[in-house]
Amino acid sequence: MSELDLTFVERAVERIGTEKEKVLEILQALQGEFGYLPKEGLERVCELTEITPAAIAGVSTFYNQFRHRPAGRHIVNVCVGTACHVKGAGQIYDAFRRYLKIPDDDDTDAERLFTIDKIACLGCCTLAPAVQIGQVTYGHLTPDSVSTVLSDYLRQEKAGAAEGAKAAKSQVAEMAPGGEIRIGLGSCCVARGSGKLRKALDETLQRTGINVPVKRVGCVGMCYQTPLLEIVLPGERSFLYARVGPEDARAIVLRHFKMPGMKRRISSAVSGALDSILTDQTSEPVTRHSINVREGHVADFLGKQVHIATEHCGVIDPVDLDEYLIRDGFKALRTCIDDMDAEQVIAEIEKSGLRGRGGAGFPTHLKWSAVRREKSEKKYIVCNGDEGDPGAFMDRMLMESYPYRLLEGMAIAARAVGADEGYLYIRAEYPLAIERVSEAIDRCKQHGFLGDDIMKSGFSLGLKIKPGAGAFVCGEESALMASIEGRRGMPRLRPPFPAQSGLWEKPTLINNVETYAAVPWIIRTGSVEFANLGTGASKGTKVFALAGKVARGGLIEVPMGISIREIVEDIGGGIGGGLRFKAVQVGGPSGGCVPASLAHTPVDYETLKDVGAMMGSGGLVVLDETDCMVDIARYFLEFTQNQSCGRCTFCRIGTRRMLDILERLCAGEGKKTDIDELEHLAEIIKASSLCGLGKTAPNPVLSTIKYFRSEYEAHIEKRCPTAKCKALISYTVTDDCIGCTLCAQHCPVDAIEYKPYEEHEIDDEKCIRCGTCKTICPADAVKVE
Amino acid sequence: MAKLTIDNREVDVAGGATILDAASKLGIDIPTLCFLKGCKPSTSCMVCVVQVEGFASLVPACATVAGDGMKVRSDCEQVHEARRAALELLLSDHVGDCLGPCHTICPAQMNIPLMIRQIAAGELSDAIATVKNDIALPAVLGRICPKPCERGCRRAAIDDAVSICLLKRYVADVDLESGKPYSPVRRPKRGKSAAIVGAGPAGLAAGYYLQQAGYDCTVFDQREKPGGMLQYGVPEDELPRDVLDKEIALVEKLGVRFRCGTRIGDKISLEDLRKDFDAVFIAVGTLEPEGVKSMGLKPGRNGIAVDGKTYQTNLPGVFAGGDAVHKRKLTVRAVADGKEAAASIDQYLSGQAVTGPAKPFNTRIGKINDEEKGAFAACGSAESRVPPVQAGGGFADGQARLEAGRCLHCDCRKADNCRLREHSDQYGARPGRYKVDRRSFVQQLQHPEVIYESGKCIDCGLCIQITADAGEKLGLAFVGRGFDVRVAVPFDCSMAQALEHTAAKCVVACPTGALAFTG
Repeated sequence: MSELDLTFVERAVERIGTEKEKVLEILQALQGEFGYLPKEGLERVCELTEITPAAIAGVSTFYNQFRHRPAGRHIVNVCVGTACHVKGAGQIYDAFRRYLKIPDDDDTDAERLFTIDKIACLGCCTLAPAVQIGQVTYGHLTPDSVSTVLSDYLRQEKAGAAEGAKAAKSQVAEMAPGGEIRIGLGSCCVARGSGKLRKALDETLQRTGINVPVKRVGCVGMCYQTPLLEIVLPGERSFLYARVGPEDARAIVLRHFKMPGMKRRISSAVSGALDSILTDQTSEPVTRHSINVREGHVADFLGKQVHIATEHCGVIDPVDLDEYLIRDGFKALRTCIDDMDAEQVIAEIEKSGLRGRGGAGFPTHLKWSAVRREKSEKKYIVCNGDEGDPGAFMDRMLMESYPYRLLEGMAIAARAVGADEGYLYIRAEYPLAIERVSEAIDRCKQHGFLGDDIMKSGFSLGLKIKPGAGAFVCGEESALMASIEGRRGMPRLRPPFPAQSGLWEKPTLINNVETYAAVPWIIRTGSVEFANLGTGASKGTKVFALAGKVARGGLIEVPMGISIREIVEDIGGGIGGGLRFKAVQVGGPSGGCVPASLAHTPVDYETLKDVGAMMGSGGLVVLDETDCMVDIARYFLEFTQNQSCGRCTFCRIGTRRMLDILERLCAGEGKKTDIDELEHLAEIIKASSLCGLGKTAPNPVLSTIKYFRSEYEAHIEKRCPTAKCKALISYTVTDDCIGCTLCAQHCPVDAIEYKPYEEHEIDDEKCIRCGTCKTICPADAVKVE
Repeated sequence: MAKLTIDNREVDVAGGATILDAASKLGIDIPTLCFLKGCKPSTSCMVCVVQVEGFASLVPACATVAGDGMKVRSDCEQVHEARRAALELLLSDHVGDCLGPCHTICPAQMNIPLMIRQIAAGELSDAIATVKNDIALPAVLGRICPKPCERGCRRAAIDDAVSICLLKRYVADVDLESGKPYSPVRRPKRGKSAAIVGAGPAGLAAGYYLQQAGYDCTVFDQREKPGGMLQYGVPEDELPRDVLDKEIALVEKLGVRFRCGTRIGDKISLEDLRKDFDAVFIAVGTLEPEGVKSMGLKPGRNGIAVDGKTYQTNLPGVFAGGDAVHKRKLTVRAVADGKEAAASIDQYLSGQAVTGPAKPFNTRIGKINDEEKGAFAACGSAESRVPPVQAGGGFADGQARLEAGRCLHCDCRKADNCRLREHSDQYGARPGRYKVDRRSFVQQLQHPEVIYESGKCIDCGLCIQITADAGEKLGLAFVGRGFDVRVAVPFDCSMAQALEHTAAKCVVACPTGALAFTG
């Protein structure tokens, strides 16, 4: 390897700064440049800055984002979030390794082209299983499709299109008189091809000379239908096209807009003469995609939702400040400044009953008044955007789609508690969210909504983004603040709470993205309105990420108190593929599994806790009868174990010992005493761990033991009732085999001999239980038991 | 000021004081590992947890500020269980042997590694004290012992075991020939007596230790001379009788009386002994069931039935050991029986609960792999096993020291001041509670004075704080996350570079044997 260019390090330090707390940013810059953290570079950083060797060694090995050895040219991040896990992420990961022939002790192929890594959650749960290569996300993978994905990526990269969609900025605030085209450009949509669609639209408009604005809008929530394209015509109903491909762009545009120089827009009557694609209006591909909001499933999906944090969903351009202002943006802040003092604002929040949306549900007004009470020259405000729960992507969507609402909420809060400086800690896995929020901050500053003397009121607030670096535990507030300060993200004992001693030991208000996002609506519409929604102690709405084995996955905002059944069946359309609904995993690694028999359970903080789950940040992963509950428990323990900061014994070693037992069970090596042992460990870890991560880590195990004990017992008897645990199952070919040889052709390990027109057989020794043969078999002749 | 109660006892402390401070003011012992006065509490080990009324969780006493009106419990079952669990979890991830495998495999539980180090250092008078602490007849055993210890020796897996038995014989021989052989310190007289029936290895050992403990011992034997099968069974060329006689003489010199030619059951019965003495130890060698019954004792499968731990028979105050309770065992086993029975008899005679000798707390690494052998090998000299050249197969002085230098120091350098070991023992934590695949055994020896064994580290972070506070240029850091967190030197530098000024401070602060003086 050639000599390292240390001048980059020098320039990066000069640009970022030399203070201790800049360590993450500096490391991120180095990693961005070199693809890993070269030792010489780190040593140079220590020479140039206040950062000590011990600090840099500690920090650079704490966060998942950082590598210490060179990576291949491209990094394949296989998402192993919950939704991806239940849809076979493990097999996708194995398939990549196999295809790239990566040896067990390495993570990069021989040509140093691809490095394979697991990522906790990409937040694209409705695309499960998903992988991210560079900036491109691929969804709905099968072990068989990895070769296609890699070659597609390389082709795209060659074509220079791999940097992903960077949508052009729309200048239009109000709807253009001639109508507009709206396209969802959230991360999920982009992953499903909305970037390409956008390009195709631009091309079509340019070529046809049609002058109609294409507007990007935030997430519509209907992730199951992406890419979504909406044609909005003044005075007419809008047309919503679902699952639109780039090839459909031209047809859709021509259908609704007229070309310059023509008297009227192309209608079905004349389309045949003009364009073959529109010869018949009912022909594929356009009408295949056309969905009407009044149509059944769309109405069901949207019908029970109430949009507060997601107000104007699918309508406004995320970073268009003018449009936000037109739709009552910053009105709430104006009201607070003009008509309310801090106490009144906090009283309003109290009346609304708003509780922390990050998971624990602590009453928001109590936090605010605690910070307000502190007498200190300096106070901070922090937004927790480190949404690390695998299976959750609400905060990403809120930040990508409604950055101004979040900033307005923070400004209101900051004024109420007396903070003038703050941070938005956003996970590095959400580049689009970081980009949009930072753009929104810039514009707010330009227009006097942030910065000095906001709205000429004398109130000032400086906000900065602090990108996380891949550590779930940083979602815990004390760990998050340690991370902002440039330390390892290790939680500490509370009290003292951040309200008393937070960032740099100053009083600090820290709330979740969704909490802040609900604030403007409450101030504008009224605390009573908000409190009218929901249940006794859980008011307002909650945004959920609905994913897993549900027909219509997506982002939903529903009133508190709605039942799990309503969410899964009415909004989500039930389970696909004729399978039975088994349970829903609520709250990620801190939560638990609520069985179908308790589907009537209303979703609110207390009730969920009572049934052994937890609101968490709001990930809902639906499980069907083919999901193994022991495997689900093992999955979550593997996650927390992996994400534990390692400080306290109970979490660091205790969760590991629980995982040992669960792995043993899944491998068919369980012992009779294992369930008792799990419960014993779980109780002690719950009662004695230092922080919330440890205290809640046993929940997925306890709730599955509680509701699915027989599955644990079956595993002790070396049986996996759902045929998921590889060590406990085998694949065989039945008499139904038609000898088509497809399985033999696709088996990645040649465990099936190629025998045309004969019944095939699977060599159990060679079989890796990847399931490819079962998926590919046209005669359903592969049996798993 | 805060007024609180701990275990229902009231205490006042200054504002900002922790529960741990308050407990110490009351003299209530709260165990800690990761806490060190003067350092910020790292709340890592969680061994100091206590229960506070109204709190949902247990809290670490070291960092929880004592609040006014708090009601703290440190002695309830939940707290004890949590502490035990924390210790057992730490032990499940603890790669180290408190005691060397040779030590634990030795039936007499002799601290072999210590003896070897004393030999290597030329401290032979210390070495004999170490030996005789557990083995009453080392010169004898140095000749006839089948040496189970050498089967346990880790070095056997690398080249050849250390010649432990010959080293012990060397120590004993040098002592016997010194003209002023080692004589243990005797405790003051207790005014109680013990009868020992049988002057074989078990009886001699029991007499040796009971006499030291302050009891008047009389050993009865039916033969003319004491020594039992050592005198009448073992061939002379294996065990020259002058060696045996010299060691017996040392027992006698301690004050033990011998009444040879006296068969119990003839003139004097067991009942008589029970009347005349405060306790009786029967070590008469192999016995038939009729013989057992005739003494009024309950027969077991191989002689007299005894409690396996305490050597107590069915008759109060009557103990039995050696071949009288298990057939054809090793001499070293018989010597061990004598020592252990003496401990039980001491408990019995001083009115304590008779539980037998306390078993020292120990963690084990177990089997080691080839890579780990290399790590161990680095701690001993490269010499191959030294063949004895002295007449009769013993070591000469230089040879003994050379051979002693081969010891790998498998036992923990901080076995006697490890707080993990201390508290684990105190709370009855079981090292084998969780069966796991352990991590690799690693030793870092680059520092001239300090050895670092990451497998013994409990991630308390005290050394990290100390090096940072002292402004070490490199210092130490936590590396990694979660279960894989380890303390390491930044940039793969050596411990010598990391601990330029703070080595001693870190070793003293380290609650386990992770950081220790190489010694």
